[in-house]
This record gives sequence, structure tokens and C-alpha cells, in this order.
Amino acid sequence: MSATTIVAPARPFAWLPTSNWTIKLIGGLVLATLWQVLVGAFLPAYVAKPLGIIAAIPTVVTNPLFLSAAWATLSAVVRGLAVAIVLGTFVGLALGRVKLVERAFGFYVSGLYAMPMVAVLPLVTLWFGYTGAARMATIIFAAFFSIAINVADGAKSVPPEHLEVARSYRAGWREIWFGVTLPAAMPYLLAGIRLAAGRALIAAIVAEFFISIEGLGFFILFNSRTFHHNEAFVAVLLLALFGVGVEAAMTWATRRFLPWYRREAKTD
Amino acid sequence: MSSGAATIRRAAVTDPTHRTESASQSRIRTVGAGKRYGDFQVFRDVDLEVGAREVVALVGPSGCGKTTLLRCIDGLLPISDGEILIEGARVTEPRAGVAMVFQHFGLFPWKTVFDNVAYGLRLAGAAKADIAEKVPHFINMVGLKGFEKVYPYQMSGGMQQRCGLARALAVEPKVLLMDEPFAAVDAQTREILQLELLSIWEMRPTTMLFVTHSIEEAVLMGDRVVVLKGRPSTVHEVIEVDLPHPRTRETLTLPRFAELREIVWNTLKDEARQAEFELEKGR
Repeated sequence: MSATTIVAPARPFAWLPTSNWTIKLIGGLVLATLWQVLVGAFLPAYVAKPLGIIAAIPTVVTNPLFLSAAWATLSAVVRGLAVAIVLGTFVGLALGRVKLVERAFGFYVSGLYAMPMVAVLPLVTLWFGYTGAARMATIIFAAFFSIAINVADGAKSVPPEHLEVARSYRAGWREIWFGVTLPAAMPYLLAGIRLAAGRALIAAIVAEFFISIEGLGFFILFNSRTFHHNEAFVAVLLLALFGVGVEAAMTWATRRFLPWYRREAKTD
Repeated sequence: MSSGAATIRRAAVTDPTHRTESASQSRIRTVGAGKRYGDFQVFRDVDLEVGAREVVALVGPSGCGKTTLLRCIDGLLPISDGEILIEGARVTEPRAGVAMVFQHFGLFPWKTVFDNVAYGLRLAGAAKADIAEKVPHFINMVGLKGFEKVYPYQMSGGMQQRCGLARALAVEPKVLLMDEPFAAVDAQTREILQLELLSIWEMRPTTMLFVTHSIEEAVLMGDRVVVLKGRPSTVHEVIEVDLPHPRTRETLTLPRFAELREIVWNTLKDEARQAEFELEKGR
């Protein structure tokens, strides 16, 4: 045996820290610097810049108007999502498990899913008035279909072996729906919630823009129109944070409650 | 194969002289059972009887419908002709007291070993205390002690089938239906599981109908080996397995075991070849 040593080729950028978070932070700093420099160089002073936004954070987050706006929007989104999850799960299970329901309503559910909910906003205000109820309806409408469609997909793709075992042990329809189909469709439900949360957030903001009720959307609109761009951006940041939070919660929930899911997908 | 004549009875399952038990004691009985999918006849005129403490192995070439027959007996599929009786009652849907062990294991991936084993008991409405007492007992019996909180994806195929077996045993069935239970595990594990199943059965003898495509497994497990053959298939031969109980690893070394294996093989080989040939032609 000759003493050959195999030398790994030098990794490019080996001097960079390997931690994911450090790299993410550096990426963010690069973008923020670009933004700060370009906007500072070419645009009027009132246009939002990273340093201005950071400076605005303490005053905005202690502003009771902002806080109640944030509460109004985010609590509406959470409540609307909760309603959409419950309704969407039931409808999704029915679509996935009952052929007749699928044949009668599947077409319309897909159609309504594809339709932008902004289009029905004027109608919603006719039904509910310029109120929080109109926002709630918009949120539910926006979130419901992505959950129903995902759960229906999940319910349809339950492995027949699981259903066979359940039937062999004399499972009734309740057990088939909630004991077998729902857990098997859980990964689909979580994916649906992910989608729905984004759509619900959009729905809430657009509804607030349109019907001018208290909330982050209206806060952003008002501050932008009064040239408080940095303040408006703090609200945008909060919305982004909420989105990231939902994403993280779903990832956590998948790991915590569906430990079997990823492993199984891997071996298939 | 004249040497086999004494042990082979041509479709003599319902012959009253053939068995000491009377028909009323038979746990599983099929009378002229047939299954059709549209114009396609899977099996026809299947007459079968399995007694209370009897193990019948069902063998036949691939695609002969042995698994379909088992599903019909479990009540998962309706039969098209004739009838299937379990303890004298017609099977129209899955019945209490009948448990099936599946080739695909059929474990729920979101349930732990404990919850999978408890599944049948829960659906049967067993009391919590009952479940807490029985489930560990059967987990123990199949050698999965210590794995109660483990999920199926964390286990090998052999362990998964132990879990599937425990789930079936936990409901203390009067009839155990085995659908090629060890076909999906590796050869060594299969042998271990076969012998363990035999010793479990000796402890608690029950009616067992065992579908397999392994001739050795059929001879090792069965008190009788029923050969399904033909297109559509029907009961072609019934071979008495006069090997002593308890069956153990020693059984495999008996000259009689080798003889019986040859007998079953000879009834199957032509058909197996023909089935293969027909598959080729069908392509």
C-alpha cells in the first residue's frame, strides 16, 4: 500500500462561519445595507429605510393605537383560521371520503379556491357592513378552501391497508373518519394550515384597507398616507414575524405530533 | 406420486368420515363459495371446513385467489356465490372473534406499539383497565417488551409483524386469519417468527387459517394443507399433515416433513409453471 493521502479540495469561503443563523444574519445585513444606501442616495427622506425603521420601533410598539391595531388584526386572523380549520377539516373529510359529496361539490370547492377572495370583498361588505364581521368573513373565506382541499387530498390518499385494518376490526364510520382518515391526512392538514395562514393574513390586511376598520392594515395605510413610512414598516415587520411564527409553529407541530411522517416518506 | 395417495384426499374436506369433529363444531365453513369480479371468476365451489383447534394452510400459485378467499372469510369482501359460515353464522361483514394478520402488517404509523396492539380492544369497547392489563401481556408474548412507546417506522419488518400479531391476539380471537404474514420479512426472521407463532399457538390453540406461498411454511404450520388450483381456482387437494405436535425446529428435520413437502410441491409445480406461462402469454 502506498502512502497516498487524499486531500479534500479546499472548500470555497472556508473562512465563513458555518452556523446557519450566522449566515442568515449576514445575508440580512447585506440586504439591509443595500436598501439603506440605495434609498438614501436616490429617494426622498420620508421613504422607509432600515435605520429609520429600527429607530421607529420603540415608539411604535409602545403606541397604544398600534397595539390595539395589532391585536385587532392578529386575533381576527387566529380566530378566523380556527373556524376555517374546523370547517375545512369537516368539509375536506366529507369530500375525500364520500364519493357523492366529491362529485357534487368538489368542482365548486376547487373553483372557489382558485378565485381571489379580494374579488368578493365588495359583496362581503354589502352583507356584513363595514365592520369586523366583514373582515372575519373574508379571512374565513380565504383560509377555508386551502384547508378543505388539502384535507380532501389527504383523505383520498389514505393507504387502503389502513382502512382495511380498521374495517377488519369492525370500525364504524366515526372511527374511519376521525380515527384513521384524519390522522393519516394530518400532514396534509398542516400543509393546508400553512397555506391558509398566509391567505388569512392577506385577507385581513386587504379587508382593512378596503373597509377602513381598526387593524394593522389600516395602521399601515394611515401611516403611509401621512408620510410615516418607517412607522408603517414596523407594522409590516410584525406581519412578517407573524407569518414566520406560523411557519415555525407548523414545523414544530410536524416534528412533535407527526414524528412518523417524514421518516415514512423517506423510506418509500 | 402414488406414495402420496394415502395422504391426499381429493377435495374430501366435507366428507364426514374424513374428520372426527362434526360439522357443527367447525369454526370456519365455506359451502360452494365463489368470487367473481364482473366476468372474471377468481375462485368457485370452495368447500372448506376448519375445526376449533385446527390449523389449515392454504397454498396455491400466485393469483389463485387465496388472499381474496381469506378476505371474504374475514368479511372484508362479499362472496358472489355460496356461503361462508363462522360458528354457524353467515359472514356478511367483519365479525367479533375473528382477527386477521396482514402481509402488509397494517400498523398505523401514528400509533405507538402499545396503541397499535390496543386497537382491536379499543374498537371492541374494552374497559381501560382491561386494555392496561391485556396489552402488555400480548406485547410480552410476541417479544416486544420494552418497545411499547416505539413507533412502527422505528422498527424492522419482523418487529412490525410481531406487533401486528400481538394486535390480532389481543382480541383473543376464536378464528385467526393469517394473510401471508411472514412474506414481507427476511428469511431468517421468517423462520424465527414461524417457530414463535407455533409456540404461541401451542399455548393457546385456536382456529387458524394460514395463507402462504411457502410450501415449507404450509407443512410446518398446518394440520392440513389445502391446495387451491385452476382457473378459476378451487380446492384441488387436501393433504393431511400427520406431523406430531408440538411443532418445533426439530419438525423441519423429520423425514416425514420432507416427504410432505414433496407431496405438496408435486401438486403445485405444474400449475405454478402454467400460471407463469399464462402470465407471459398475457403480456
